[in-house]
Amino acid sequence: MSVIDHLSGPEDLAPDEREAVETLLYRLADDEFVLAERYTEWQVRSPTLESDLALSNIAQDELGHARLWYDLLEDFGHEEADLLWERDPETFTHSTLVELPFESGDWADPIVRSYLYDEAEHLRLQALEDSSYPRLEDRVGKVQGEERYHREHATNWLERLASTEEGHERVQTTLDRLFPHALTLFQPVDPEIEARIDEYGIRTQSLDALGQQWLETVVPFLESLGLAVPIAEDGAVTADDLPETIGRDANHTEDWFDLYEEFTYTYHDLGRDSAERIMSDPDDQ
Amino acid sequence: MDIETVKERAAPRAFSPKDDMPEEYRKAATRMIQFHANSEIMGAYLERPFIRQAPSLDRKLAFSAKVQDEIGHGQLLYRAAESLGIKTREEMLEELATGDGKFLNCFHYPMEEWVETPMIGFFVDGAAMRRQATLKRSSWEPYAHAMDKVCFEEGFHVKHGEDILRELATGSRAERERLQEAFETWWPRIIQFFGPTDDKSTHHDFASEVGLKQLSNDELRNAFLNAYIPKAEKYGLEIPEEPRIRKRDDGTYRVVEDDLDWDEFFTVAKNDYEGSHVQIGKRHDTQEAVEWVRTVLDEHEQTSMGTAPAAAD
Repeated sequence: MSVIDHLSGPEDLAPDEREAVETLLYRLADDEFVLAERYTEWQVRSPTLESDLALSNIAQDELGHARLWYDLLEDFGHEEADLLWERDPETFTHSTLVELPFESGDWADPIVRSYLYDEAEHLRLQALEDSSYPRLEDRVGKVQGEERYHREHATNWLERLASTEEGHERVQTTLDRLFPHALTLFQPVDPEIEARIDEYGIRTQSLDALGQQWLETVVPFLESLGLAVPIAEDGAVTADDLPETIGRDANHTEDWFDLYEEFTYTYHDLGRDSAERIMSDPDDQ
Repeated sequence: MDIETVKERAAPRAFSPKDDMPEEYRKAATRMIQFHANSEIMGAYLERPFIRQAPSLDRKLAFSAKVQDEIGHGQLLYRAAESLGIKTREEMLEELATGDGKFLNCFHYPMEEWVETPMIGFFVDGAAMRRQATLKRSSWEPYAHAMDKVCFEEGFHVKHGEDILRELATGSRAERERLQEAFETWWPRIIQFFGPTDDKSTHHDFASEVGLKQLSNDELRNAFLNAYIPKAEKYGLEIPEEPRIRKRDDGTYRVVEDDLDWDEFFTVAKNDYEGSHVQIGKRHDTQEAVEWVRTVLDEHEQTSMGTAPAAAD
């Protein structure tokens, strides 16, 4: 149980509280932003017009969520330029699951990735519904509503893909490759700060507890589709199960740095020093 | 219904799948709507890289939404084309990937820099808006109906395109210079968007007689010039010397058509320009890469026919 009922607004937080809130927000925002950035690669390249529209929707939802979380970081005086466009790519704390590139035509990847991610996202948001940090608590509802559709979408596609021989084989191959990276979703940015996040009640479930619940959801479902989940029989996750780079600790694959170069290209090419807002502030919506 | 009756009864939204339309009408309408649908898809190929390269989070969201809208328009239009009973959507998408499907001239050229994005997003989309607004009165009701939604969404696209133009036009000196350069490259293509002058246009007469089209190429181009030359000047863009634009006594504009490269235009129209091969190649390759998914979907549908609940796409 947390010892703190309610934290104050952004301007009145003690430095150690602020650090905990910011760390949590960066985890959330970076995951959503980078995942969306990857999803958009499927725009105009999905297998059917309908699946193109659906994945575009999901990408835009995630971008919208990233915008909500980065906006809460702006409460602390950061600007979008510092949070994204001029930020050192070695300080991003997203999981490596979201940064991996897609192979051309490998539609099983966005489906498996989305399934693994969205189940984790659902649990993570549940653990924020009663957050002690009011600004966070206020925004969780909107995000949670959209995530439900993402899970339905992924589940539905997984069932269809896994029902045929070729689809099953492709899903299995993807699962073997992505599963270790999905485990990094529950890794700490810094164990001491993560403990503070729990202690202050910013998140009402620890990363370990969330990881356990996630396994209890995804393993039985994937097995029900006849897939083999690459994990020990007793469900215990050890350091050996994790990939070489985990992302959360700000270590990333080369693909992340390439992606960062690409998405900041125009900003630097035009010599910009700020990012233009064209939509209203989330607090005014 | 015979052709003479069609011509007599031709009026906005006069015909629908309930009517027994002659093949000549159905073929002409299919050609026109398929071209339009193809153009939505191929335009999206040009714009998709700028989802990634947009210089702010809001612009990224807007670009992603725009590209998605284009695919949505393609979906609507293929449906309107299918309703004529000449070709299925699959056939039309297949033709697009193999290079048999035709699409707008502007989408045969590469777009490589952010400063070029308003050339499509403001000028080409603005031109398209003008044409589409008249097609709300097309005689094929499903086409006219699709135009209601398409025009509504295009309105937002043009606003977004204009906003990017404004941002660049009020930006640094380098931004303004690069914007002017992009404008000079794109301007002749934008004017050619409306196709050749009426006496060179092969399909116009029939389409107009049966009410598929409301205005001629020339009328649309002139209306576009009258509206967009002042807009371009408002943002500090200089209209290139060629093609020569003549101002009439009443203040309206017309273009000296011989200054435009019609050989290039007709090469583009045959999908035979250098850029045509590149753009069609992209469509072909990306569709081929996901062919396996469509096969899996077919197989899934056959084995679970009648038992599977409707799936979320």
